[in-house]
Amino acid sequence: MQDLSLTEDEQDVLQELMNIAYGNATAVVADMLEAFATLSIPQIKIMKTADLISEFQEKKEISYFFSSQAFSGEFNGETAFFIDEESANNLSTHLELESPEDLDDAILELTNVLTSSLTTKLAQEMETQITFSPPSITKLALNQIQEVDTFKHYSQVIVIETQLDFQEQKINGEIYILTKDGSIQWLKKQLNAILEALI
Amino acid sequence: MKYLVIDDSKLARLSLIKSLKAHIDNAEIFQAVNGEEAVTIVKNEKPNIAFLDLTMPIMDGYTALPLMLDSNPKLKVIVVSADVQEQAKKRVINLGAQLHVQKPINTDKMQDILEII
Repeated sequence: MQDLSLTEDEQDVLQELMNIAYGNATAVVADMLEAFATLSIPQIKIMKTADLISEFQEKKEISYFFSSQAFSGEFNGETAFFIDEESANNLSTHLELESPEDLDDAILELTNVLTSSLTTKLAQEMETQITFSPPSITKLALNQIQEVDTFKHYSQVIVIETQLDFQEQKINGEIYILTKDGSIQWLKKQLNAILEALI
Repeated sequence: MKYLVIDDSKLARLSLIKSLKAHIDNAEIFQAVNGEEAVTIVKNEKPNIAFLDLTMPIMDGYTALPLMLDSNPKLKVIVVSADVQEQAKKRVINLGAQLHVQKPINTDKMQDILEII
């Protein structure tokens, strides 16, 4: 396995691009929910999938809805969105949903809007194009995370961890972008090109 | 004229400074990586115009903005942020910012900003 860790400059550039992309995505979701979200600074790291799964397992007491959406292109991978059960129930109350099926549908739509806005803007900033597959949803405890197929496809992942935080409605979630080694190499090249153009 | 660029991202600062230099010769430009540093620079260096990010560690832009204006009420603050929610825009204008501009800044956008202020 290649060492694909990010340099300080690469991390800075990716963090700023992610900040722009996430700000854009949050505004779209805020409009959808007619609510106001607090933005947090994205935390970015490249790590082994096994280590990420270990981190998830530390949260094993909590039941989560896990939804994911694949994207393809020069930059390709999968976005993962976690929303805990309490937040999901608050989302249901906020949207006045009537059944568990409605909640699944709402989370899928939230995932679709959030992750497609996020990755589209990120791709736009990196001057590339991506296409999406429909999102899917699973409800699980995080100690079952190793059973999720999504994580079996990736040996190393770029973990771009950020919070979706609607404080008034008490809805928050976490977003991850999972990519393979080839995409990480492509990404590093793009990040350096962006920075070199400014110096 | 003195300018202050406040952002925790080196990319964002470099990009904004490049756009600024494309329009203004001999600009005296200061940089801060968080709101706390910005407040100190406003007090000591008395910049005329500040470009302020909102989401930063240590002290964010929402907290820094009123402190910067308390220190220098003539300072013109342009908020440059990825947070494009309507409530965020209203909040910074109510706190005294002249403008709220969506990131990233390029030379065309900078020209518009400089014409407006």
